[in-house]
Formats: sequence, structure tokens, C-alpha cells
Amino acid sequence: MNLSDSLKIVIVGHVDHGKSTLIGRLLFDTGSIPEKRYQEVADTCRRQGRPFEFAYLMDALEEEREQNVTIDTTQTFFQTSKRPYVIIDAPGHKEFLKNMITGAACADAAILLLDGIEGVREQTRRHAYVLSLLGIRQVIVAVNKLDMVDFCREVFQQAENEIRAFLHTLDIVPTYVVPISARSGENIAAAQGGTVWYNGPSILSALDTFENLRADTRLAFRLPIQDVYKVGTRRIYVGRVATGSVEVGTQVTFLPSGRATKVKSIERWPQGGAQVAGAGESIGLTFDEEIFVERGEVLAPSNDLPIVTEEIKAGVFWLGKRPLQKGETYTLKLATAEGSAVCVDIEERLDSSTLEVIERHAAELHGSESGTVIFALKKAIAADLYLENGPLGRFVIEDNFLIGGGGTVRDLTAAEGSQKAQVIRLDDHFATEPDGNMIDLTRSRGSIEFVVTGRFGDRLAAGERVLFKLRGPKQIEPVALLAYEHNFCFTFSREEDFIALVLFSTAKPATQTAAADIAI
Amino acid sequence: MYEHLDELEAESIYIFREAFNKFDHLAMLYSVGKDSTVMAHLVRKAFFGKIPFPLVHVDTTYKYPEMIAFRDRMVKEWAAELVVGRNEEAIAAGMGPEQGRMRCCEKLKSEGLAQLIEQHDFKGLFLGIRRDEEGSRAKERVFSPRDKNSEWAYKDQPPELWDQYNTSFSADTHVRIHPILGWTEINIWEYIAREKIEICPLYFAAEGKRFRSLGCMPCTGPIASTASTLEEIIAELRVIKDPERAGRAQDQESDYAMQKLRAKGYM
Repeated sequence: MNLSDSLKIVIVGHVDHGKSTLIGRLLFDTGSIPEKRYQEVADTCRRQGRPFEFAYLMDALEEEREQNVTIDTTQTFFQTSKRPYVIIDAPGHKEFLKNMITGAACADAAILLLDGIEGVREQTRRHAYVLSLLGIRQVIVAVNKLDMVDFCREVFQQAENEIRAFLHTLDIVPTYVVPISARSGENIAAAQGGTVWYNGPSILSALDTFENLRADTRLAFRLPIQDVYKVGTRRIYVGRVATGSVEVGTQVTFLPSGRATKVKSIERWPQGGAQVAGAGESIGLTFDEEIFVERGEVLAPSNDLPIVTEEIKAGVFWLGKRPLQKGETYTLKLATAEGSAVCVDIEERLDSSTLEVIERHAAELHGSESGTVIFALKKAIAADLYLENGPLGRFVIEDNFLIGGGGTVRDLTAAEGSQKAQVIRLDDHFATEPDGNMIDLTRSRGSIEFVVTGRFGDRLAAGERVLFKLRGPKQIEPVALLAYEHNFCFTFSREEDFIALVLFSTAKPATQTAAADIAI
Repeated sequence: MYEHLDELEAESIYIFREAFNKFDHLAMLYSVGKDSTVMAHLVRKAFFGKIPFPLVHVDTTYKYPEMIAFRDRMVKEWAAELVVGRNEEAIAAGMGPEQGRMRCCEKLKSEGLAQLIEQHDFKGLFLGIRRDEEGSRAKERVFSPRDKNSEWAYKDQPPELWDQYNTSFSADTHVRIHPILGWTEINIWEYIAREKIEICPLYFAAEGKRFRSLGCMPCTGPIASTASTLEEIIAELRVIKDPERAGRAQDQESDYAMQKLRAKGYM
């Protein structure tokens, strides 16, 4: 059996820029379409008196073929020599944005399709924005229909410059920009002599360089509890590992309840007995002691917890028939937790095509619009920031029984009393840190409080410096407060995955004896 | 290593467990075919060996005797509850494919199923359809709401984001749940081989023929094949030129036959 990680790709772009044709071509070039199915489409096209439509391979609904438009998202499959692929075709028409987002939400990577002659259009911008909202970073821009201009290099370059400039405003750097013709097959599987001036990869070879990001074992362990089953006399907690991995014996904490315990066993059927389970696996767990927690709690390592919150600030895209309204109560579902949430403020309402702020503190967010929204939860839940942990940082809002929109968590306010501030005694740290005066806070979450003893100030006054490694700009505040209260100075710089803050003092040493004391 | 089949399995188990948590009156359509037999295996994985809801079989009276024998044997082995439904009125009136294949499917299968749902007040129904089988199935959602007439509003489906599904419904609807929507035909066979799942013998070649898709006798034909082991079937599917449902006559009735049947409640 030839199995390896699959890659899910979504194909997006303005209506009529050729998405369905590109997909039909990808399927055809990888030999993924049964010949009969191809014949069937050829026959249908002949009966209807039109040339062969690759798009028909995807647009299966009668209404889609009659109107020449993709209505709903489709998933289909092909295989390269490297791995299996799932392609998600997403409708380009504005009216079907909810179907486009449904498709794009589960993708690892995207192909943004652009008509080389028409350039960037309304849905190109809107779709690119959705990619940035969903945090999709592996992006190929395919500049299509170049056969119509004899594969003119200038046409391609102009389109490339335009799209790069636009994507830059969204913080998206396309991994590849490929000149193609979906109809003729240029640069889909391979070059066919049309674009002699291009020596980058074809669409298929570009895709083969991307990574499956759906089950990330490198992140902290998170298991949203899905249910609790009584099997014989045992209580088995079931769920799908969202990120990271867990081992038998790991010290874990349930949030928001705060119950701590140790993993006793990992359960599967028919054989249990595994020592470790990783992201993406549906498992059962038992614990050392009888614990009674419910669906919706999140299990995490006791030393690396998500945040318990009652207030979420998020980037929200609204897809419902009725607008999202400030002051209304909705059901918010994040991982397996769900509860009532009041929309307390729509801080910004954006035009999702031009990305301009239309309104601040708006009363409503309409269908197909997006914005920054604050929800107040009736009951605390455990969550992460979307950028730090995707599966625990995204949620949906239900309106009138159905999913009306989605959101990605940008900021969380820790619920009062849910997490005690972490107290760091600066003297202790300072004296025991093996690699010098360094305090690493990159794994700390929630609020931090510093307790300073006199000796700490003296040592800084004697010219020593302390490096604080911070996970993000929010942690600067407690250190700044420390500096303010004790009259220290600091400098900071942004490193690749942390902030380096150096704390020092310009005060004169208090007395000679005190300084000598420290030197011992 | 976490492979493609592991991911498909984990996702399906997750879907079964979500539905089990959210709905009270659940049932799984068991057509005796390879897909629903794989589903039964996944259910037992999700619920540690048990099948905690009834299996439902819509009997058109046109099924192969081998299918019925296999069904009864497996149900016993799994200690599952089986509910068999028939549209007795239509059967008594002599409904058969000679009165039109689409009409026959609608009466004996779609209506037979709708009657069962009503009799038992099922609120959630697991179905083993897959996106790669046929175009209108490719457009499905994992949790797909139906109105009280079982109709599918395929032009206006609710969004489904990440692993969040629509699980709240008003009282007069039921939901079709599709736990193996993302599997392909080859994935199914690879999984059968990996998990050593017993499958109806009609799938294996005898005298140069085997069934690739199982259905009613008058409308289902075997394909020419010598594949008599799982390995041979997988090898055959890698090179085969015909689509999976080529042997199913109702699909070939008109250009959009399946879409039309499915809009009215067909599987």
C-alpha cells in the first residue's frame, strides 16, 4: 500500500477565472478521471452543442451546468507520485461565499487563480482575504488564460506585480506565482512549450512541496473532551487530539474546571495499550482517579495550559441570512465547548472586497461581511489564540439552529479568578538560572506578577543585566510595570519566535559593602 | 506514522461520536455493501465494540439472496439491532423496474426509507455515501439537514466549518449524517484489507465476474473481473477505466438522475 500524508488544497478566485477548468485539468493530467466519466461529459457537451467543458467534471448539478457557474463546494481526489490530494473546488460567485468558506476552512494550502488578462477582481480580493482570515499561508497564485495572449510574458508580469502588491497588504507572500493555461494544460503537470521564459515549477510540482498542517504534533497537547462513556466499570473520556501528543503518565489538567490528574491509559478498540497518542487521533483516555468532568472541557499538560476566558475578541466572517447583531445572544461553539454568547461589540465592520473599515462600533454585520467582534460568554471556556493553536482558537456562531458564521480568536481576557497570576520571585530565578541572568517566559500564559527582593535591585545597580524571553508583546507590560516601580531601564528587540527584553539599572550601587557582599 | 487512512478513520470516529452525543433517535442505514460494512466497523471502534443504535435495511425484495444471508449473519456477530423496512403498499401494487427505474427507486427505496424514519421517529440517520461516487454526492455536507418530506435543499446548504457541524435542528427535520463522505473507493478497500473486515462474497470474482457496487438484482450488473482477493481488487481499481456505479442502471437513466433522486430523499 502506498500511503502517506494527504494534502488538502482549495482552489479560489474570481468567477470565470477558470477554477473548475483548472481542476478538471488537474484530474485529467493525473489520470484521476475514469475514462467513462470523461466520455459521459464529452457526450453531454455534444448533446448540448458545446465544446468539451472540463468544468463539467466538477459542476455536477444541473443548475451549475445550465448557468455555467459553480454553486456549491466539491471535494475530489487525485494522486501524484508523492501523495494523495484532496481538491476543494470553491464557488467564485459572491452569493455562494458561505460555500466557498465551507470548502476553504479545512485546506492546508490554496491555489488563487487569476485571469492574466482581467487581473485582480472583486472576488480575487475577497477570496484572498478569506485565505488570510483562515490563516492559510501556503499559497500558489496561478495566472491563467495566457494561451489567449500567446503566452505573452509582459501580460504575466503585469498580473504578477498586481497580485503580489495586493497580497502584501494581507500579509500573504505567495510561495509561487505560476503562468498557466488550464485549458491547454500549460504548466499544470509540466511545461508544454508555451512559456519558454518561465523556469519555475508547474502547479503539480509546486503542490508537492507543501506540508500537511492538519495534525500538528509540534504544538502543545490539547484534547477537547467529546464525551464520556461507561465501558464495563470504567469511565472512558473520548475525543480527538487537536494538537500535540500525550503519553501515559503525563500530568494533565482539565479546563475550565481546573481538575488535575495523570493519564492512566490510552484506549482504542479492539486493542488498547498504546503508550502515546498524537494530533488527529480519535482516542479514549482513563485517569488515575475518578474524575467527573463533562464534554466541553479541554485536557492539556498542566505546565502548558490554554486560557480560561469569558470574553473573546475575534475576526468574524458572517454567512447567515440574518445579520449578526450587537446585543443579541447566540450559541458559540469552540472545539467541543458550546454556550451562550452575547455579541457585545462589533468594533470594526469591513468591506471584505476592499478591506476598508466601513464602520466602527457597528450595530450589524451582514451576510458575506467580516469584522472584529467581541463576544461575552455566559460560562467560561478554555481557548487559545488562533495564531498559537488553530483548533483551539477558532469557533462558529449558531443563529436559528444553523451555523451563521465563523471566527478566529485574536485576543482573550482571562476570566477573573480562573487563573492565579503566576508569581515569579526575581531573586530566586536570578540566582539559580544556570545559563546566566535569563528568565524564560515563552511558555507562561495568563498574568504574571514579579516579587522583587532588595538584592535583585542591588545586583542590577552593580551593572548586571537580565534577559527576559517573552512569548509576545502582551508580556512586556508586567516587565515594564516592574521597571517603573523599581526605577529600572529596559531595551527590547523582536527575535524570530520570541521577544528579547533586557532589564538593567542606571542607579549607582547603594554602598560599597552591599556591592562587595554580592560579589562573593 | 499518522497516515491518510488513520486520518480518515479518526475523522469518521469523531463524526459518529458527535452525532451520538447530539441526537437521541439515531440509526445507521445498513445496505450490506462494502461501505456500510466498513461503517459498522468504525462504529464499533468509536463505541468500544458496541453498535449503540439500530441498523436499518430498506428491503426492496429485489436484493440478492447472498446479501440477505450476509446481513443476517453479520448483525448476529455484531450483536446489533436490525430494523428492516419495506414499502409494503408499493410492493403489493407490483412496483418494479419495468415501471420505470427512477420511479421504482423512488417508491421502494426513498419512500421505503421515509416510512421507516416516520415510524421510528429517527432524528439522525448515518449513511455511507462518498464524495467520489457521483457528482451530487460530492456536494454533500457531513451533517445534512432534511425537511419532513426528506427533501435536500442542495442549492442552499448551511455552511460547515472546520470540524464544527450543524447539530441543532428544529423538531420537524431529520439529519443525514455522512461519516465516510471523504473516503474514496480505494480507501475503502485498503481499509478493509488493513483491518481484515469481512465483506459480502459477491464482491470477489467468480467465473470471471464480480460486483463492484451492490444493489437490486434487476438494476445491478457485475463487471468482468478475475480479482478474487482484496489485493487483486485494489490492483484492479488502480487501473480501471469505468466509474464505480457503472453497473447501477438507475444512475444512467438521464443526465441528472442521481441529483433528482437524491433531492427527494434517495441515499
